Amino acid sequence: MGELASLDPEAQKILAKYDQKRAATLPLLHLAQDKVGCVTPEVEAWVSKWTDVPVVRVREVVLFYSMYRQRPAGRHHIRFCTTTSCVLMGSEKVLGYLKKKLQIENGAVSADGKVSLEEAECLCACEMAPMMQVDGKYYGDLTEKKVDEILEKLK
Amino acid sequence: MTEPILSRNFNVPNAWKLSVAGPRGAYETARKVLLAMKPEEIVQTVTASNLRGLGGAGFPTGKKWQFLPKDNPKPVYLVVNADEGEPGTFKDRYILERDPHQLIEGIVLSAFAIRSHKAYIYIRGEYVEPYQNLKAALDEAYAENFLGKNIFGSGWDLDLVVHRGAGAYICGEETALLNSLEGGKGFPRLKPPFPAIVGLFGCPTIINNVETLACVPHILKNGAEWFANLGSPGNGGTHLFSVSGHVKKPGVYELPMGTPLRQMIYTHAGGIRNDRALKAVIPGGISAKILTAGEIDVKMDYDGLKAAGTMLGSAGVMVMDETTCMVKMLLVAAKFFAHESCGQCSPCREGTGWAYKVVQRIYSGEGDLRDLDTLLKVARNMEGRTICVFADAAAWPIQSYITKFRKEFENYILNHKKAGAVHG
Repeated sequence: MGELASLDPEAQKILAKYDQKRAATLPLLHLAQDKVGCVTPEVEAWVSKWTDVPVVRVREVVLFYSMYRQRPAGRHHIRFCTTTSCVLMGSEKVLGYLKKKLQIENGAVSADGKVSLEEAECLCACEMAPMMQVDGKYYGDLTEKKVDEILEKLK
Repeated sequence: MTEPILSRNFNVPNAWKLSVAGPRGAYETARKVLLAMKPEEIVQTVTASNLRGLGGAGFPTGKKWQFLPKDNPKPVYLVVNADEGEPGTFKDRYILERDPHQLIEGIVLSAFAIRSHKAYIYIRGEYVEPYQNLKAALDEAYAENFLGKNIFGSGWDLDLVVHRGAGAYICGEETALLNSLEGGKGFPRLKPPFPAIVGLFGCPTIINNVETLACVPHILKNGAEWFANLGSPGNGGTHLFSVSGHVKKPGVYELPMGTPLRQMIYTHAGGIRNDRALKAVIPGGISAKILTAGEIDVKMDYDGLKAAGTMLGSAGVMVMDETTCMVKMLLVAAKFFAHESCGQCSPCREGTGWAYKVVQRIYSGEGDLRDLDTLLKVARNMEGRTICVFADAAAWPIQSYITKFRKEFENYILNHKKAGAVHG
């Protein structure tokens, strides 16, 4: 719990913003996941402690939302949009290329631990379709060449 | 077209910073109004402006505000729905990322109007860059006392908290959003009671979309009549239309309510890429019923699209040219709804999963002509039978794609039938 204990001051600040403790569940999960890399049973217990929400309820929340992970992602996480406008603009071809290049399927981490891939529903950037999100940043008008350039810049 | 209003700062570099937005007029209206107007006067002005909720439902904003109970002892909350997730829609992202002070000013004015001292912005979890700009703007607004205690010396306090979602489309539904904001799963609530009576933490709550609130400073600055006259009858103002797909110039277009769809596609968005023929248009996000190329002479407002048998929804316009395979597009839509159903109601949880499987079967070449009627039956049994409108929204693409492109679906099934397929 040492890693999580270091987040206690930040947790207190978050709790102070909300009218009820349980409302801090999502932000505390975000905070702990960013630190630990995924939501472990320890993280769930830590969130439960701060919010007074039973661990089983915290777990329900973790499982409900797509952004909480139970296993660590790669050093860089890619969300690749697979919904309407991206498909219209040729996302399937680019996604196929990306998978082949990384040699992984949806939900997996590359063998070197560098990149993980998640097929996402609409990320609401259809004007730049096909698009993907790498570590929070949006990249659009993707082509195979552009994917090469983006991946090369990742450390 | 008149001067841009909501989008006036979208292409101004660094307009998300107060140092740029301030000299361009940010918070000027709030400063005047908080010292000069009574809350009821603001509600009356917004009601008279014909502003309608721009998140998708199109409910008159002033009327919604008036649902709040009088003589209420509990705190009143303003919750801002920034959980943009409707496929084909990206307008709120532009406001959040490029002009967050416009939104915060709208929140200050609207919270004052409904006598709320606490507001929450629920922003989609994947919106990392918009969140960063919004958070920076919020910190600046606090530092300048545009938020916090005794704002502009008016004696009125407002706290504003930005709350990040965690990846669930359903949280854009306002009561699911409340459950999520309270720390739970995003399950929609039964209505009534409506949130204006029993909302966040059991207290009276108004939930408004980002763009809706961003309109409020402009209405109070220029008057209700000005705003009402910008749009079409009963549909006040301009609207940020998200246009994407097979057009030459995809993007956000601020146009008057009621702009003809044909004009939007061929004039504003530059027409179809490679000058191909148009096949179909989804006018209001993935949930809206599709229009064929022959049906685009419609006015883009709530009433116009309703008359055309579809809806304005989130004003996410997705354009498909003649090369588009409708079976594939239905597969994409069915996958989306199956993935995003919250699972609370059986007709939706089972129906979306079943529909996806049947469309997958057709797409993979193992379909049967009877599958089309099965899909329509599944859709019919989802509609109107659940707590929220998600199931209805999942049914509409199935019904409209198959009904309007039946021949294409039938040909696909017959032409792709694999030798020895077991179904029929």
